[in-house]
Amino acid sequence: MIMDDKTIEFLKQTFREFYYKNSSKITAPIRMNEREFGYMSFNKVMVRHLSFRTDGELRVFLIRESPHSVYYSCAYYYEPTLPMGEKGWKGADLIFDIDADSIPTRCKDEHDIWVCKDCKFMDKGKRPETCPKCASTRIEEESWFCPLCLNATKNEAIKLVDFLLEDFGIPKDKIKVYFSGSRGYHVTVEESSLEGLDQLARNEISDYISGTGFSIESLGISKGASYDDMYGFLPLANEPGWRGRIASFFTEFEFESYELIDKDVRDKILYIYGKIGYKSFEELIKKIVNDLGVKIDVMVTTDIHRIFRLPNTLHGNTGMLKKKCDDLTSFDPLIDAVVLSDEPVKLFVYRAPKFNLKGDFFGPYHSEEVTLPLMVAVYLLGKGLAKVINSY
Amino acid sequence: MEIEFGLEDLAKYPFLKEAGDYIKCLSLSIDDLKQEDYQRVLERAKHRVIEAIQKNFISTEIEEPNLEILSFPLALIIVKAIGIDYFMHRYSLAESLRAEKLLEKEKKIIISNIFKSAFNVNTIIIEHDFFDFKMSLIDYLLRATHFHKPEWKLVNRVVEKGFVYVKTHELIRLMREEIRKIIYERMKSLSLPKIPENIKEIIDEISKALPSLPSKELQKTTPEMFPPCVMHVLDLLQKGQNVPHYGRFLLTSYLLGIGKSIDEVINIYPKAPDFSERLTRYQVEHIAGIRGGRKRYKTPSCRTLITHGLCFKDETLCDKIKNPIQFGRKPVIFKKKKIDEHNSDDYG
Repeated sequence: MIMDDKTIEFLKQTFREFYYKNSSKITAPIRMNEREFGYMSFNKVMVRHLSFRTDGELRVFLIRESPHSVYYSCAYYYEPTLPMGEKGWKGADLIFDIDADSIPTRCKDEHDIWVCKDCKFMDKGKRPETCPKCASTRIEEESWFCPLCLNATKNEAIKLVDFLLEDFGIPKDKIKVYFSGSRGYHVTVEESSLEGLDQLARNEISDYISGTGFSIESLGISKGASYDDMYGFLPLANEPGWRGRIASFFTEFEFESYELIDKDVRDKILYIYGKIGYKSFEELIKKIVNDLGVKIDVMVTTDIHRIFRLPNTLHGNTGMLKKKCDDLTSFDPLIDAVVLSDEPVKLFVYRAPKFNLKGDFFGPYHSEEVTLPLMVAVYLLGKGLAKVINSY
Repeated sequence: MEIEFGLEDLAKYPFLKEAGDYIKCLSLSIDDLKQEDYQRVLERAKHRVIEAIQKNFISTEIEEPNLEILSFPLALIIVKAIGIDYFMHRYSLAESLRAEKLLEKEKKIIISNIFKSAFNVNTIIIEHDFFDFKMSLIDYLLRATHFHKPEWKLVNRVVEKGFVYVKTHELIRLMREEIRKIIYERMKSLSLPKIPENIKEIIDEISKALPSLPSKELQKTTPEMFPPCVMHVLDLLQKGQNVPHYGRFLLTSYLLGIGKSIDEVINIYPKAPDFSERLTRYQVEHIAGIRGGRKRYKTPSCRTLITHGLCFKDETLCDKIKNPIQFGRKPVIFKKKKIDEHNSDDYG
């Protein structure tokens, strides 16, 4: 959906006012002058290779440009404003992105829709490969988020923090968790010994956390070996790392005919292995690893030049804030990251399902004029599902 | 705390800086090697080089520590003077294999001390049923990412509070690669002194008997079929399905890598949803290195593709390849079998 000029101007004005009123809350990331900054305007023009020296410069920039999105590099450079090949890479924060889109939850069938770009046919749920009406493959997806899928995403972030603390030994105060401002969580590790890792090593980090490439041999299972030989190599629940995680899973795991509760987990693992055989056991482990691993976006973690949304700035698609979560368990993005006011705005909404924001339900709307609080208005305008009729 | 090595240790591991310090204390110059007394040092150096070049191994017997300590730098001079990079690599590998064999018989504390002294890597000796040492995550990753067998993958290791657990032979395997590197680097940066006649004769003698070099020319690839990962992306494209960004990158870099032209690559794309000729051309040219950063991108490795969920390995056809670009190519490495015996296939 293309945004009209009036809507763009309205959004810019809204963002500008927010940054003006909250300028003291805009703080620079550490080692600011070694980082590259970039932004996307509401006209969807991307500008990169910028640099700021002080908090003040950054604040003035935000108020002046009031962009759709603001980014900073996870990397540290000698010359952040030069073209990529000449910047001189020094190191980079370890970063993670967990997106609700990549976590399968049942609610997606309820709130996600897809639209055929050719015949405009639309339906709920996951997009089909081809449009059932006109067979076109030009299909646009529209994801929505509810407390259920955002909670599932939060659980992934909690698992990730556990990996960072327990396995990688990263001190708690170096791990920062943010709600991304849209549909997921960003986790950054600053000032750690891992800063100098290259892409290959970050691949290993990302595979470790997601469980990619896990082989059942590392559990002590080996095809054709006798049970006696394997027994001593099987994992125990008090072991560190993946072996311990998997053993703990088996401790709790309910397996149909297994009743010897007093025996240790190694017996249970061997019992199950004996019952279902190598191949099915391998499949079972794959499922367990997939469950226990974290669904991170590999591209983000392994990209050592990545630019990432700047904390405490607004997301142009939602008007929500990329906000630090000091207590992840109690953090509710649909309340805590909604920061714009409730001033009334008159809109024409093309379409929107019923959705939840700041504790209230809105919609559904079908091609109609509505007056909505600013935070809700921006949420719809940012998604391109409405246009402004009256602005203040 | 200063680490102390005995003369025996230095004879076994003459690449240690302590061995160099020891030679310095003797105040010897290369000209002294003309004297009859040092004939055995010359013989041992010559033997080192010949064994390394012909058998890819150097014997571990130590007759007299001084012979080993003194012959090592001389052997480096001889190989450097031969002047062929391939033999410098081969020599460093053979020296590292010798060290590996000796390290296998060492006490844990010596192994730990050598790692600390030569590479400034801290390893902690642990009491554990399966493992002997732990090392920091970063020290492990910086070294183990060059190994390709699944057991080296971090996800298959025991990792606790920033440390990775390793067995003695694993630590030695990691170290062997470091030893090979420092010996090669030392040879590379060596500036040759004026070489006395008797050593020149040795160099000439060895040079005449060198085995032939491996053919560097890779066979031209006109694949009868594409690797399964590339086929998967092609299938998706032909069915008109959306291909993930990294899949497109794989396909483009692969096709460019096997010598297809930019236009040929672009022609593959029209069936994709949202095709834009201008954008596709820009992206293909970017990957080919004629736009943007002017960097030509290589085809991603099999490991990277596993990470991105794009590997659809064929157990037989993909055996031993580390990059899709190697698919269907016959190995062209000179005397591969021999090298593999020592080198195994886990290092690439």
